[in-house]
Amino acid sequence: MKEILISGMGIVSALGNNIKENLQSLLANRSGIGPLHYLQTSHTEFPVGEVKMTNEEMISLLNISEDEPTIRTALMGMLALREALQNANLSKSETRNPKPETQRIAFISGTTVGGMDKSEQFYLDFLENDTRNAYISTHDCGICTEMIANYFGVFSQVDTISTACSSAANAIILGAELLKSGRADIVVAGGSECLTKFHLNGFNALMILDRKPCRPFDATRAGINLGEGAAYVVMETAESFNKRQQEHPTLKAMCKLSGYGNTCDAFHQTASAPDGEGAYLAMKKAIEEARLSPEQIDYINAHGTGTENNDLSEGTAIMRLFGDKIPPVSSTKSFTGHTTSAAGCVEAILSILALQNNFLPINLNFSEKIPELTFAPVVSQQPTKPLQHIMKNSFGFGGNDTCLIFSKI
Amino acid sequence: MNNIYINSIKQISAQQPLVEDWFEQPIFYSEPYIRAIEPDYKQFFTPNEVRRFGKILKRALLVARQVMAESGVALPDAIITGTGLGCIESTEIFLDKLVRDGEELLNPTHFMQSTHNTIGSLIAIDTKCHSYNSTYAHNGISFECALQDAFMQMKREDAINRVSTALVGAHDEMTPTYFNLLKKTPYFGKLNQAFAGETAVAMMLSTEKAEKTICKIEAVEKMYFGHETIDKFQSQISNLKISNPDYIMVGTNDKPETDNIYLENCAKLFPNIPLLQYKNIFGESYTAPALGVYVAAICLQRGVIPEHLKISGSEFQISDNSVNKILCYNHFDNKNHTFILLSR
Repeated sequence: MKEILISGMGIVSALGNNIKENLQSLLANRSGIGPLHYLQTSHTEFPVGEVKMTNEEMISLLNISEDEPTIRTALMGMLALREALQNANLSKSETRNPKPETQRIAFISGTTVGGMDKSEQFYLDFLENDTRNAYISTHDCGICTEMIANYFGVFSQVDTISTACSSAANAIILGAELLKSGRADIVVAGGSECLTKFHLNGFNALMILDRKPCRPFDATRAGINLGEGAAYVVMETAESFNKRQQEHPTLKAMCKLSGYGNTCDAFHQTASAPDGEGAYLAMKKAIEEARLSPEQIDYINAHGTGTENNDLSEGTAIMRLFGDKIPPVSSTKSFTGHTTSAAGCVEAILSILALQNNFLPINLNFSEKIPELTFAPVVSQQPTKPLQHIMKNSFGFGGNDTCLIFSKI
Repeated sequence: MNNIYINSIKQISAQQPLVEDWFEQPIFYSEPYIRAIEPDYKQFFTPNEVRRFGKILKRALLVARQVMAESGVALPDAIITGTGLGCIESTEIFLDKLVRDGEELLNPTHFMQSTHNTIGSLIAIDTKCHSYNSTYAHNGISFECALQDAFMQMKREDAINRVSTALVGAHDEMTPTYFNLLKKTPYFGKLNQAFAGETAVAMMLSTEKAEKTICKIEAVEKMYFGHETIDKFQSQISNLKISNPDYIMVGTNDKPETDNIYLENCAKLFPNIPLLQYKNIFGESYTAPALGVYVAAICLQRGVIPEHLKISGSEFQISDNSVNKILCYNHFDNKNHTFILLSR
């Protein structure tokens, strides 16, 4: 059985534009959610977790020509991927001219909105004139992945996953399968998603957005704060890692991906089953695959959107699986907002930071336990025992439920 | 290692739906844009389902139900979907209203049905299937991404979570609006190229051979060349261990830029192997490669190649070759190249 190591990470989110800033915000219990600033929408009543950069600022950081058609999801993705590759000692020249031992580097990205930010801005131009034709081709999700990949160099294969809010977590699962099957030596997996009017209005039409800062796992929770971000992890087999470490002594394995489970709730397009069946099965499958027992899980980074439905359903699933030994649970969406397709990897990285630095990310804005649940979320950073195995839940519309387990090496 | 078989496969497209009429009596079109021929849904769905689901969802659900029934697999271990554009009709309706009427009074129904994974989820909800469920949306290789995922999980050595049966689907609808937009892009911007079509294909893969097994999947490979042209192509291809096929099913669509890549690469990599086409009768769409696999699979099952799949100008006689192995080769924009080897 091949061991899958995480040897690099990169992130941009409402908490900051790199790993260090994200960790600092998390440790300082400082949320990145605030009033709307960058997205052009009339719904200014909703707090959001925006990446604190304009497109122009990102274009300049990346040294991209201003004439090139760009989409926000790709720009954020490039910044996160750049950090992840640097972090794993995979320089730009190395991805362009791969050495034999790093011959096949696959890139897997999760997104659902793709180039919707420009499509919604230029839709009438698309229909009525020829001024914005370049942005017709940037609408689809695959092009977004390729724009991010092409900024760096030769990836041996690219894949785009679109399972709504669990996309990035499923990208990590595919990454593990590619490594185990020997189809890639190194995989960079995660997701990117910018805020758009399209999905902000969609969530609003579903009446699941909160006008106040979101309160996951709180009795008074009233919905989601949307967020945006991009995050990628570098994954490789122990064999590839050991070889590369001889050449790059500073290379560090942060943790291993010890298990994962993907299931379907098969209940409703946008609501979770009351008994949390899909979530329960995903967590169970991940624990089995990791060859662990539930008592060994030291922390659960929940999907925890802050909606009435999700938190009760997910909480019920956790109670079913863990019984009276429920590990500390929190939702970091109270820090980042719901970064939708990127969430699986944004939150996986926040969880890995917790594992590395041995603290519990707290659940902000909590005051009152959900009466139906036997547990309350984490409010203190201090873990009761050293963190060894942590669980990351990520659920999407349509009941696409995914669970990842990361372990210390 | 497990063998992987296609035990049932069904399509809805520009040809007669759910049947293999195209084999003897293909329909040829001269228009640039052809919608799929819809089956009589009233025979298969409740009036409520007919009303509630968009075109792509009805097609996907019907072909899925049919391959599940035919292969006798009620609960596959995986439901994996490839779709280039997802539910683009619902997306357009929501987007159009948002752009024209502003951000108030939007109805959530079309948003709910706009995400790419609506298709795979609907099949799971319909069958109450809790197993592995994923969706790939990578333009012209969306289907191959999905097939690769199924293939790897079925080949897994580790018994935990290994997949024995997988329902793989490939679905794209083409709305009039989106066709008009794509005409402004290189994808459909050429006169006289194969028509813009629609794809709905479902196939049941299994590690067990059955009485009705259609063919075997020997290999699924994909590769990406983002920057330079294909100087590494040859060495990568030789690593694929694809032994000489009897035919190569290519995605030529009468657009010289696209076709020449197929012709040149096949001449270089697999010299003297006759080429077959399918887009002349099924049209072009992001998930059209699934129709290529479908056509190849039916040819293998019957042991014959119909004359109309022959590429005009190629010199071989159809009857000269045995029909034991067909390689399906697809490229998208000369960046992504995929190879699927099928055998009898």
